[in-house]
Amino acid sequence: MNDVSRATAGGPARDAPAIAQGRTAGQRTPLIDGVEKVTGRARYTADLPTGETLVGRILRSPIAHGVIRRIDAAAARSIPGVRAVITGEDFAAPYGVIPIARNEWPLARGKVRHRGEPVAAVAAIDEASVEAALAAIVLDIEPLPAYFSAAAARAANAVQLHENKPGNIEREVDQAFGDVDAGFAAADLVRERTFHYAEVAHGQIELNAAVATYEPERDRLTTHSVTQVPYYLHLTLARCLGMDSSQIRVVKPFVGGGFGHRVEPLNFELVTAALARAAGGTVKTELSREDGFLTHRGRPETDIRLKLGMKKSGAITAVDCEIVQRGGAYGGYGLVTILYAGALLHALYKVPAVRYRGYRVYTNTPPCGAMRGHGAVDARHAFESLLDIMAGELGLDPFAARRANLIVPPYRTLNDLQVNSYGIPDCLDWVERASGWKTRRGKLPRGRGLGLACSHYVSGSAKPVHWSGEPHAVINLKLDFDGGITILTGAADIGQGSSTLLAQVVAEVLSVPLARIRVIAADSALTPKDNGSYSSRVSFMVGNAAIRAAQEMKRVLVTAAAKRLEVHPEDIEWNGDHCRVAGTDRTLDFAGAVDAALVDTGTLTVKGSWSTPPETQGGKFRGAAVGSTAGFSYAAQVVEVVVDEDTGAVAVERVWVAHDCGFAINPLAVEGQVQGAVWMGMGQALSEETQYHEGLPLRPNMLDYRVPTIVESPPIEVKLVESRDPLGPFGAKEASEGALHSFAPALANAICDAIGIRLTDLPASPDRVLEAIQARKRRERLRASIGVSAQPDPERH
Amino acid sequence: MERMPQFDLRRPASIAEAAALLAAEPGARLLAGGTDLLPKMRRGIERPPVLVDLGAVRDISRIDYADAGLALGAGVTLSQLAMDGRIVHHHRAIAEAARSVAGPGHRSAATIGGNLCLDTRCVFYNQSEWWRATNHYCLKLGGDVCHVAPQGSHCHAAFCGDLAPALLVLGASVELCASRGARVIPLSDLYRDDGVAHLTLEPDEVLVRVLVPARSPALVSGYRKARARGAIDFPLAGVACAVVARNGVLAELKVALTGTNSRPILLTGTEALVGRVIDEATLSALGKLVQKQASPMRTTVTQSNYRRQVAAALAQRLVCELAGYEPSAARASMS
Amino acid sequence: MTKRLLALTVNGRMREDAVAANLLLLDYLRGTAGLTGTKQGCDGGECGACTVLIDGQPRLACITLAAACEGRVVETIESLAIEGRMSRLQQAFHEKLGTQCGFCTPGMIMAAEALLRRNPRPTDADIREALSGNLCRCTGYVKIIESVHAAAGG
Ligand SMILES: Cc1cc2nc3c(=O)[nH]c(=O)nc-3n(C[C@H](O)[C@H](O)[C@H](O)COP(=O)(O)OP(=O)(O)OC[C@H]3O[C@@H](n4cnc5c(N)ncnc54)[C@H](O)[C@@H]3O)c2cc1C
Ligand code: SF4
Ligand code: FES
Ligand code: FES
Repeated sequence: MNDVSRATAGGPARDAPAIAQGRTAGQRTPLIDGVEKVTGRARYTADLPTGETLVGRILRSPIAHGVIRRIDAAAARSIPGVRAVITGEDFAAPYGVIPIARNEWPLARGKVRHRGEPVAAVAAIDEASVEAALAAIVLDIEPLPAYFSAAAARAANAVQLHENKPGNIEREVDQAFGDVDAGFAAADLVRERTFHYAEVAHGQIELNAAVATYEPERDRLTTHSVTQVPYYLHLTLARCLGMDSSQIRVVKPFVGGGFGHRVEPLNFELVTAALARAAGGTVKTELSREDGFLTHRGRPETDIRLKLGMKKSGAITAVDCEIVQRGGAYGGYGLVTILYAGALLHALYKVPAVRYRGYRVYTNTPPCGAMRGHGAVDARHAFESLLDIMAGELGLDPFAARRANLIVPPYRTLNDLQVNSYGIPDCLDWVERASGWKTRRGKLPRGRGLGLACSHYVSGSAKPVHWSGEPHAVINLKLDFDGGITILTGAADIGQGSSTLLAQVVAEVLSVPLARIRVIAADSALTPKDNGSYSSRVSFMVGNAAIRAAQEMKRVLVTAAAKRLEVHPEDIEWNGDHCRVAGTDRTLDFAGAVDAALVDTGTLTVKGSWSTPPETQGGKFRGAAVGSTAGFSYAAQVVEVVVDEDTGAVAVERVWVAHDCGFAINPLAVEGQVQGAVWMGMGQALSEETQYHEGLPLRPNMLDYRVPTIVESPPIEVKLVESRDPLGPFGAKEASEGALHSFAPALANAICDAIGIRLTDLPASPDRVLEAIQARKRRERLRASIGVSAQPDPERH
Repeated sequence: MERMPQFDLRRPASIAEAAALLAAEPGARLLAGGTDLLPKMRRGIERPPVLVDLGAVRDISRIDYADAGLALGAGVTLSQLAMDGRIVHHHRAIAEAARSVAGPGHRSAATIGGNLCLDTRCVFYNQSEWWRATNHYCLKLGGDVCHVAPQGSHCHAAFCGDLAPALLVLGASVELCASRGARVIPLSDLYRDDGVAHLTLEPDEVLVRVLVPARSPALVSGYRKARARGAIDFPLAGVACAVVARNGVLAELKVALTGTNSRPILLTGTEALVGRVIDEATLSALGKLVQKQASPMRTTVTQSNYRRQVAAALAQRLVCELAGYEPSAARASMS
Repeated sequence: MTKRLLALTVNGRMREDAVAANLLLLDYLRGTAGLTGTKQGCDGGECGACTVLIDGQPRLACITLAAACEGRVVETIESLAIEGRMSRLQQAFHEKLGTQCGFCTPGMIMAAEALLRRNPRPTDADIREALSGNLCRCTGYVKIIESVHAAAGG
């Protein structure tokens, strides 16, 4: 049912190592660590054998906003079995993933800013002692007014959460590109709408956990954690504990998903390490699901006002957008999120003029952060919804409206983002055909509808958060007497299959079977630093580094083989298993080549590195780095829904999605990523939302935080479009986020097609849908009673 | 997350022994499948000093058919109910209700007794100890205000068991057993309209059997449940109906609701619809009855008004289905 | 608190352990028996990650008392591979990518195992019903359904 089109859809393939039909790259390959996962042998952080271990636990603030007057832990310390009690005073520095917004302490210091914020922590010999100690800690917090919505926090006389942030605005963005007024003046149709999006959370199934061991004799710390970015955690541990980073080792075991929750260093990881140091031993902290919702870092509640100008042809003439995000209590990734929302809003299409204003607001709710599709998901819903509304008014088919705005690569967007490959045209063609759009749309029975939307996403941000001048990615390859090739990478496989991808890439370049390759990932004592698994950077950046490392290893092996066979390296035909002197039957097998290569040097270690070219690193304006990437992925999808007008229930019957991943190094894994992304978009679109009661999360569990079950999850048919990006490894691009964004707008468009109602709020939960249906009935009755002839709702088209 | 509180575990081999243990140990609680009680204990909502596990009691897991009707042991699991051929055939509402509960991992443990004696639920109550403490507890447990209706002195936590309405429309009664003796009461008398103490069961009583009287073969029944997801979720509203229809006329009609009030309710006033032709007017009258008697409060994360409306919609739809009536598309169902 | 002696069969092996009354089966398996294949993904009964078989039925180990398993037969994910050969379900979940991060996988496979023992040729609807209590956050379930079909030989 799923297939891959190998046609080139983008610009010319310059410079990319061409592979016609890969032996390994391009093959459907099960995960190299899949056996561990299906047999239960895979050890996640909570599964690690740890020897004698103390139990760590965190005490959380009951107060949403207040000044800490005193934390009295004396009684807790004197409880037998308690080995350490710590507070904010036990840390050397605050943290935050963005260097200019480090305003969070692992345990609150001075002030608490949301209910559930960690204020103290205990390590003890068993659960009972831990609980007794937590109960014995006395908190004296003087409450301040607290704000649970962006509007309340922005109100004129609101108390500031952070001293240096007047108006509780964490970041205000005001950007304009092109002549916006002229663009609207030139339009045949101008429309403006407002949209509202509930906050959502990552909901990865593995609960948070960390294990830390401190060796007092050596002042050394080893931390195992669920992190997506061991490197940030490493830096932050050094910073917050005031330790030399050389004394710290961070290891990432198997990780049960992340989706952005674990991109930032998280308080419990820092607290566990500090407890281990204070207790002089090993501490394990296992968090509850509720703790996960309090730690949060999800996608913020968002309000969008969007105005578009459009020609009769469907061509967009101008975009004007204002976005307000309720960011929660701390900086985290906040300023990046509000910048992403603007940067990716319009860059999907050819747009001549854009104005964007964004406000990231501090509130007394758990901090938001990066979540799959970072920053761009809600804005995409607004944009693709309004596009459909206007297309309808102009009598254009939704496909025509998109096709009127396509980019031809290579292209530089208004905000200086570089597009080198662009598979949207092929994506549109495929979903149009596969869904039977032309023959079915408009002819479906009432209650059933089809909707279309497009989306895109970065393949790694071109400027890492911690800009150090180092390459964007580094890989080490080791080869020794045993003939095994070990990939050493800092890239964290969190289930997305990055280790498998790297093994495939190296096997491809060296023409060796996958079985010869082992991956050691994310152990700071062994593996090179990596910027981590976020913004879909690993395939692209680390993949490129892996190609280079493998090429270097191949060069060494070929040179050694040539020397042994007493010919020039150019005379060697390399075939992995063995090599041959061209035109002869003189061969050397792989083991022989390895032997030859080890003479005089011993163990071989080679390195490959990669950096994004400067022209892809964005423009010069403030905030320009956000959104910049070496390659954009693209997607289009059609969603078919059935709406029950009596109950408001929306059933997603089917999804057709085409994703331009450049080149599918592992089509099996890419399909899995695309399906997962589409489905996560569905969760947000249909049923997921957080909700607060005076700052307390009302849905901090998997019953009320409604992650879709298998029952209501539809078949998702995937088409992989391969535009062969000139910079991507073998032409590959991002595959696990880009298709998420287009689900929600495609759903909204489909609902409108089905029942003629335009939903501008997410999620489209049954109560909201029913309310919208009834609001229409009320309008119709009112119209009938005042004698206006019953007109069809303008939305229906 | 809290640790499991400590308790003594008893595993009696008979109902008599179980009843004796309850009588002897104040505060002791029965443990059946544990799928409601144990999550609550993990959140510190319940801290019984003694748990009386019914898992080793013989003869409470039987489904017996007799001329007088159906007798269901309190220990019969929901997966047993959902898969029993005769129940699926003759008492469809029971099978449909059982199948709609939680997920398969729950249903293979969950029992009829536990489902009927399920605690009421509220979003301010089914939370961790830390959460409830932070929110200053509430009337139902440890506090003195209700966060749902702060002016009142009444708890509105909702009864959310799926089986009760199905059994109510079939006229079931329950057999309760204590050391003092046994009694049989109509199922509707097991409940009262009080979110804190919604069961009339005495602390030392064990629900032993459910008796479903034999009914006319013409009676058809069903259960429909509104929820946000296709599984796991408790009902936002659940509706059971039992109908006898002859030539488009209602000859018998019973409707019961769950998820909307502190007790499962058997709708009153449905007699007035008996003898009427099933048409838009009858359905609209039915919808009004439901909307009037359902009184959901803000005890769930979903709007209470939605729960009321969807209850009416489901009742109308189910009656149509059971009576084989095709409603017209233009029905003004939920005005 | 006093402990009681618990006798049961875990993965084909008779065991006797002293357990506290309030010990959950999940903690017994992961802690006492060292079988960490069974996972915990929620605060009790909401995600299915802890699904094991008790007397062949799918059950949630996180809301089951260990002591209530007296005399019962418990099977976990670790029991499925025999003599180094993965079971058909394990093989299929591996080859068809029914697993991504792997965290829901043990519970998912055990729920599917209960299904296939009862119903060797399930339909899509049967599979959805049998796995309806198991949440997965990675796969969108599409390849999970494919995996179960593949294991059933379809
Ligand atoms: C995630 C999740 C989802 C759920 N979804 C649903 C749902 O959709 N619908 C639904 O109805 N339920 C649902 N439940 C609740 C529960 O699983 C079921 O109601 C189940 O039927 C309870 O039965 P049990 O045997 O497990 O009860 P237990 O937990 O053992 O007991 C429940 C209560 O009944 C008492 N009790 C048990 N047996 C007797 C008896 N014989 N006599 C007197 N008192 C007794 C106990 O003392 C206890 O107070 C859900 C639970 C969870 C965790
Ligand atoms: S209805 Fe009121 S008293 Fe009852 S559980 Fe909810 S908040 Fe508490
Ligand atoms: S761990 Fe979530 S149901 Fe058991
Ligand atoms: S594979 Fe990650 S939760 Fe299912």
